[in-house]
Amino acid sequence: MIRRGLAALAAAVLPAAAAPDHELVHNEIADILALPADTAYGAWLASECTSCHGVGTEGGIPQIHGLPAGYIVGALVDYRLGARQHEVMQTIATRLGEEEIAALAAYFSEAD
Amino acid sequence: MRLNRRAVLGSLAAGAAVLGAPMVMGQAAPRVVVVGGGAGGATAARYIARESSGAVNVTLIEPTRRYYTCFFSNLYIGGLRDMESLGHDYGTLASEYGINVVHDWAVGVDRDARTVALAGGGSVPYDKLVLSPGIDFKEGAVPGWDLSAQNAMPHAYKGGSQTELLRAQVLAMREGGTYAMVAPPNPYRCPPGPYERISMVAHVLSEVNPTAKILIVDPKDGYSKQALFEEGWQKHYGGMIERIGPDFGAQNTSVDPAAMTIDIDGAVESVDVCNVIPAQRAGKIAHDAGITDGDWAPVNPADMSSRADPDIYVLGDAAQQGDMPKSGYSANSQAKVCANAVLGALTDSRVFPARYSNTCWSLIAPEDGVKVGATYEPTEEKIASTESFISQTGEEPEVRAATYQESIGWYAAITADMFG
Repeated sequence: MIRRGLAALAAAVLPAAAAPDHELVHNEIADILALPADTAYGAWLASECTSCHGVGTEGGIPQIHGLPAGYIVGALVDYRLGARQHEVMQTIATRLGEEEIAALAAYFSEAD
Repeated sequence: MRLNRRAVLGSLAAGAAVLGAPMVMGQAAPRVVVVGGGAGGATAARYIARESSGAVNVTLIEPTRRYYTCFFSNLYIGGLRDMESLGHDYGTLASEYGINVVHDWAVGVDRDARTVALAGGGSVPYDKLVLSPGIDFKEGAVPGWDLSAQNAMPHAYKGGSQTELLRAQVLAMREGGTYAMVAPPNPYRCPPGPYERISMVAHVLSEVNPTAKILIVDPKDGYSKQALFEEGWQKHYGGMIERIGPDFGAQNTSVDPAAMTIDIDGAVESVDVCNVIPAQRAGKIAHDAGITDGDWAPVNPADMSSRADPDIYVLGDAAQQGDMPKSGYSANSQAKVCANAVLGALTDSRVFPARYSNTCWSLIAPEDGVKVGATYEPTEEKIASTESFISQTGEEPEVRAATYQESIGWYAAITADMFG
């Protein structure tokens, strides 16, 4: 149901990506944060992230370990919608469903 | 249970980690042997050891005590990285992850006895074997060249001393001399690698030897990121670089290392530096294990297990898997899928659906970085590309500079992911 909701959201937002509907985005983020998070699944999914996102800050890739869950969910939703643009992250985020985003946010927000 | 001295020592070294770990299937700890300590093997060893918390006994067989990455070696050639920044050792994998690191060559696999023979004598038993041996060069691929000629004509396509040799030769070139590269046919390690190397050689020569020429002899019709490289070469290096393709007979190329000449379809050229990157195949141990079909080792896309033996997994350049390029990033990605599958087979840990990804950054000139990448998923037939992207021609310098900075962050992250 949430997946269908996001597809509709994408259809509504993408043609005018410069001005995303903030209320819809906020509702989407809240829906994902309300999902039960599978942290073990998050740890598995996170292994895709750690090829680039290290625990140090060398170079131009931000550290994401320890970021608040709401920030991570917001960033991934924005990448999926194209409201935030980056080729690698949009490609990665496109194949993440709500369950995956919730699991990743739970894992990284608890990671050192 | 067969144990040799090394295996006993390994068990003792890992003992602290094993104590308190859950007993697995009521047996002694299952044994995983990983051959090759690069992007595939080091990552697989680290993830299996870490995720099992010592419940799996992991042995990593890697001949070199200090590993110099092939990725980023072109930046050393370009004078943008020092060699030590590309070197990594295995101390953390041994001390923090309890991995039994054996510095020796794996020279044979007995698939019935499930043991790996070592060049130094003895053998190591396994329940699951991970082979990540990288590439070897095909004999006779470039007539006139073999490994005995690699000092006169370096390949510099495995990190370390060959890379240092090639940079030294570029710096020592006579004024106005010619650097030639014999590029490899598909498939080969790091598709944009030869062309990033050309970029870095051109960068050095434009500073220290601006009348020098660069000649690429290439058996392929086209190559990775071609439009991006050609645009960048025109922009940064003027008319320094010439490429001869198959339309001018580049597939009929031989070399004479003693005379320092290249014969391109009958036309003989004298050159000052000759970088020969021959055609490639899976590292020798994969062939010795009897799991190859032609040049490469076919694997099951869902878990990187060999199609010839369910107790062997093949990672990285040596694997024939489908759409993923032979890159360090790909090997690192495949290693995590493999580690999850191996742990699922040996312990009661959860197995998750495979997901793969890759990004290849290349540097055209200082601060002018480009990238190509994709996500992948397993199908019955192969690992198939699902979504992809590539840098665009005509991008602003700020975009290119940010892309280069990303690549620096990636190098730090992936090497930490490999070596701890």
